[in-house]
Amino acid sequence: MKTFPAYRLALALAFVVLAAGTVRADQLVTDLSAHQIAIRSNFTGTEILLFGAVEARTPGARALNRDIVVVVQGPNAPAMVRRKDRVGGVWVNHDSVTYPDVPGYYAVASTRPLEVTAPPETLRALRIGIENVDIGVAEARAIDGTAQALMPEQENAFWKALIRNRQRDRLYSNVPGGVTFLGQTLFRATVDIPANVPVGLYTAKVYLFQDGEVVDTISSPLYIDKRGIERFIYRAAHSDPLLYGLLAVLGAAFAGWLASAAMRRT
Amino acid sequence: MQIYLPIAEMPVNVLTILAMGGAVGFLSGMFGVGGGFLMTPLLIFLGIPPAVAVGTQSTQVVASSMTGALAHFTRKSIDFKMGGILLIGGVAGSISGIYLFRVLTRIGQIDLVISLVYVLFLSVIGAMMMVESVRAIRAARGGVIPARRGGHHSWIHGLPFKMRFRRSKLYISVIPPILVGFFVGMLSAIMGVGGGFIMIPAMIYLLRMPTNVVIGTSFFQIVFVTALTGVMHAYTNFAVDIVLGFLLVIGGVIGAQYGVRAAEKLPSEQLRALLAAILLLIGLRLGFDLVTTPDDLYSVVDVAPHR
Repeated sequence: MKTFPAYRLALALAFVVLAAGTVRADQLVTDLSAHQIAIRSNFTGTEILLFGAVEARTPGARALNRDIVVVVQGPNAPAMVRRKDRVGGVWVNHDSVTYPDVPGYYAVASTRPLEVTAPPETLRALRIGIENVDIGVAEARAIDGTAQALMPEQENAFWKALIRNRQRDRLYSNVPGGVTFLGQTLFRATVDIPANVPVGLYTAKVYLFQDGEVVDTISSPLYIDKRGIERFIYRAAHSDPLLYGLLAVLGAAFAGWLASAAMRRT
Repeated sequence: MQIYLPIAEMPVNVLTILAMGGAVGFLSGMFGVGGGFLMTPLLIFLGIPPAVAVGTQSTQVVASSMTGALAHFTRKSIDFKMGGILLIGGVAGSISGIYLFRVLTRIGQIDLVISLVYVLFLSVIGAMMMVESVRAIRAARGGVIPARRGGHHSWIHGLPFKMRFRRSKLYISVIPPILVGFFVGMLSAIMGVGGGFIMIPAMIYLLRMPTNVVIGTSFFQIVFVTALTGVMHAYTNFAVDIVLGFLLVIGGVIGAQYGVRAAEKLPSEQLRALLAAILLLIGLRLGFDLVTTPDDLYSVVDVAPHR
């Protein structure tokens, strides 16, 4: 088997723990099938495979009530939720709520449903599950742009809508049973990366639960970025927008000239 | 075959885009229209963000109107002086349109305004074309020639800042052409269209320009105004997708060739009625979406950094 940095790290940690003499519970060793995902012109979404093993500290102990939860989280960014209301028979974007720190991607996979894995307080403390993520202070505005105060349950409807929208876009997901054990110690999980993922630094966090308590966590980075021509075009459009625009238009004018030249010949 | 669009940030089917470009190019070659007012709604139906649809479509209009303008240049059927005056209005209109576009995007009403403007124009123009073509079909059958406009003087001749346009054999105030150009420039920035469908009737019925220079002059104005619109959409909204634009241009150029040829063989009035029906259908669909309760009242947008 290949040696991965995460594997080494886990080993090193194991030695530290051993040297300290504290007999702890089981430990995790994990890795991802890829630490980089390149968005190229043929990108239509992908899957990453997360695999790992639980290293039992007490040989022979039964792996009862052992759960694995995998959380893959994308870069945070502000997001605005708008609600439509009927104005003169037409549906118009009306009130809005902006959250400053919303993950652009959030996927949870677990061996069993989260509700039976750990008590809600524990999940909240660990910020596992999209509804437990800290998204900052919401800012509500009316249609004319003025700030307005919303009742907590009204504001919650906006937050719920954000989750619902992103679930529909496959950016947020929760897959109970998405982590499967292969025998006593090995486990694996596949995480769906749709085509519309935001680019940036992701983290894949793995939690090992024993009887509803976290006994170990491990976190590995995942980098998603545009590559090749996609990256070049995106960069050009954002860093030199004037030049980019001129080139786009000149190219189009050239194509038009080419077409007329071709037409004259025939 | 899927391709990921770098600016729209979504994968699309290459063949779908080529086919759409080809179909719209066919219609534009056949009827001598830019086709932008068909393509932008189609792109939005496909899920392309409205800003990217409008910005990218303007580059496609540059290409198709360039071909048209060059053809009229060789036939010497462009009134450059009138085109220049229309262009002055168009530049001002396009800049105002881009500004309006940004404001509307910030307050979250751009999708609504694009849809409303489309519903209005598609239904009015579709209805007018339908009435006209049905009348023409009937006239052709009954042998009656529909009555044409008379040569009476209009209120336009009372306006100041008169200028002589030799090619158009006109001596009129520059105010109406500037206003027409401004209005069309604004539509170009908001709808991603060339605006020939507004400008050509305005030139014929309002400015009383001779029909042989109308189309060429309108193409001349459209090339420059949509070029400016495209550059500004790229500069202020980062909304021009070169990959998408390239596919649309390829499809459009090929489609237009066949459209021009088909127009010579097929009964044009029936086809005009068909185009009118297509416009009315798209208008109806957009209007229907505005009034029916959406599946989800809430929508999420990324808060893009403002320039």
